[in-house]
Amino acid sequence: MTAPAWLVTQEAGLCPCSPIGRRRKGSFVDKTIAGAARVMREAMFSDDVAARRGLLQSVEPRVKLVALLALLLTASLVHQLAALAALYAVTVVLAVASGLPIGFFVKRVWLFIPLFTGAVVLPATLNLVTPGEVVVPLGTWFGHEVGLTAQGLMAAAMLVTRVAVSVSIVVLLTLTTRWNRLLAAVRALFVPRLFVLVLGMAYRYLFHLLSAVTEMYEARKARTVDARRGGSARGRAFVAASAGALFGKAHALSDEVYMAMVSRGYDGDVRTLTARAPNVADLAFASAAVALSILFVLADGRLAG
Amino acid sequence: MHIPDGYLSPLTCAALYGASLPAWVVASRKVRKVVKSRSVPLLAVGAAYCFLVMMFNIPVPDGTTAHAVGAVLVAVLLGPWAAVVAVSVALAIQALFFGDGGVLAFGANAFNLAVVMPLSGYAVYRLLSRGASLTSRRRAVAAGIGGYVGLNAAALLTAIEFGIQPSLFHAADGTPLYAPFDLAHTIPAMALAHLTVAGAVEFALTMGVIAYLQRANLPLLRINHRGVESAVVEGDQAGEGDVPARPRWRLLVVAFAVMVALTPLGLVAPGSAFGEDAPEDLDLAAYDIDAVPKGLRSYAGFWHNTLFDDYGFADERYPQLAYILSAVIGIGAIAVVVGGAALTVRFVQRRRVVATT
Repeated sequence: MTAPAWLVTQEAGLCPCSPIGRRRKGSFVDKTIAGAARVMREAMFSDDVAARRGLLQSVEPRVKLVALLALLLTASLVHQLAALAALYAVTVVLAVASGLPIGFFVKRVWLFIPLFTGAVVLPATLNLVTPGEVVVPLGTWFGHEVGLTAQGLMAAAMLVTRVAVSVSIVVLLTLTTRWNRLLAAVRALFVPRLFVLVLGMAYRYLFHLLSAVTEMYEARKARTVDARRGGSARGRAFVAASAGALFGKAHALSDEVYMAMVSRGYDGDVRTLTARAPNVADLAFASAAVALSILFVLADGRLAG
Repeated sequence: MHIPDGYLSPLTCAALYGASLPAWVVASRKVRKVVKSRSVPLLAVGAAYCFLVMMFNIPVPDGTTAHAVGAVLVAVLLGPWAAVVAVSVALAIQALFFGDGGVLAFGANAFNLAVVMPLSGYAVYRLLSRGASLTSRRRAVAAGIGGYVGLNAAALLTAIEFGIQPSLFHAADGTPLYAPFDLAHTIPAMALAHLTVAGAVEFALTMGVIAYLQRANLPLLRINHRGVESAVVEGDQAGEGDVPARPRWRLLVVAFAVMVALTPLGLVAPGSAFGEDAPEDLDLAAYDIDAVPKGLRSYAGFWHNTLFDDYGFADERYPQLAYILSAVIGIGAIAVVVGGAALTVRFVQRRRVVATT
């Protein structure tokens, strides 16, 4: 079953930043409801994509996890911009082969990363932060020459690209793997069973508690007549009370879950789904990914040397 | 404060995974001992709760919103070791399923937000809430201050992790390979944001939730406060009855010893710490400057009364040993200051108890 399209797309008209209606800063209630909806939407979207047919979806999860981690490590090891760019091209090819919406895949990375990482890294292009060869002089400041340095610009370009490639690889992993399969795969990395079990249950009950949060905040929104009254102190008191009430719900839930586990025969020992054994195609994929990683690191060293 | 992949070098990520590992091992043992078989659902739901606390938008006076981390809140509610596991799992869900924070950088994020933040914040909370009744105002304020301190400790560590990148990892021509700002930039930037708005938000949420539970749902506070009286102040012993003090101290000592032993790591790393040397040691030619700037020369050597110049012995032999020794002495000095402060607090509290009875 896939989520209907109207549920996973955002409605333009209701965004507080749109030209429709009066512009005002989003209230904390609206923001929390929107945040909760976004978490739900992302989880549904990744379940939909994971259910499609494609290259990465057909690879055994453990093999895929190890292969993509090798690529991720490569992205953090290489020192040349060209190598990073080539690695990004590899992720785009993988995304196309796995049937990911390509516009989404490119936009998700290139819309937000230059905005955040780019803004953070911008001052580092100045010679005040990164000393080096000034290529774009910007004038003088208290008698010192100020300008953008070649080293600073290179560092900024590299950081943005590196973050973009890393995010792309993680997006490939999460979008093409069902969450329970991904958790089973995490065990292959010597993560203790207890942690994996807690992780899986936390993810499951996250959505249960998320709907409790949404209900609390929707009830608050429904009762609010004038959002500006009371000021931020009253708002903070409400947030603290709702977080406290949520803890009460969470604790009651954990008791119920425990009793349900015991009544189904839980004896403190953890049993997990056994994944299918990797076949020849899986191993071929893994060796290709590892070979590619080694190739990239070697080529990168050659370029630098 | 979630560090994405790409900002830290793989070496730093590996080191911080290593730093988090002992905390995870100790935490899972402690938690199993304390809550036994109920631990799995309690930790799982606690982790989900952590994830949601980070989503709550908290209004700040100028009309915008900020969000808290809540690690110290969870430590006060469920105990510090349960908080280590719960926050780690919440961070893992964010990194693996929602792309918030890096996968390689998960060790770093866990060390800052899931290990140091709850443990340091909880220590402050315990210190300030000593002898306070379960429903006292001081307990709620102590939790808030714990949240503030824990958040700032985490922010400082994040700033240090960012700040050591350009001096340790750069190309031959000085191009930084990972995060480009050094300590002189990252620490003030992080401190400014977290000592003011983010710290205040953390304080407000942590204190607010404890105050709410004191009013509305006291049994929930008892999960991690067995034996704490809820009505009257009964001196120092009231809250300490069932908590053996020794193992806690032993653990702290072990943790410090590990950190001390790790201090010479910097000597093994290539490159020198930029901006920490005396003007004479600067490789000026590398930056195309032919003289030490006047301001730098006049301020260098402004403070000469250090105990050990450059953390080493005078003849510069055995650098690792000298580093460890100066770390030990540094910790000793800090311990004396903190211990003195703690004794003063306890003294003042005793007098207050005497005065009220």
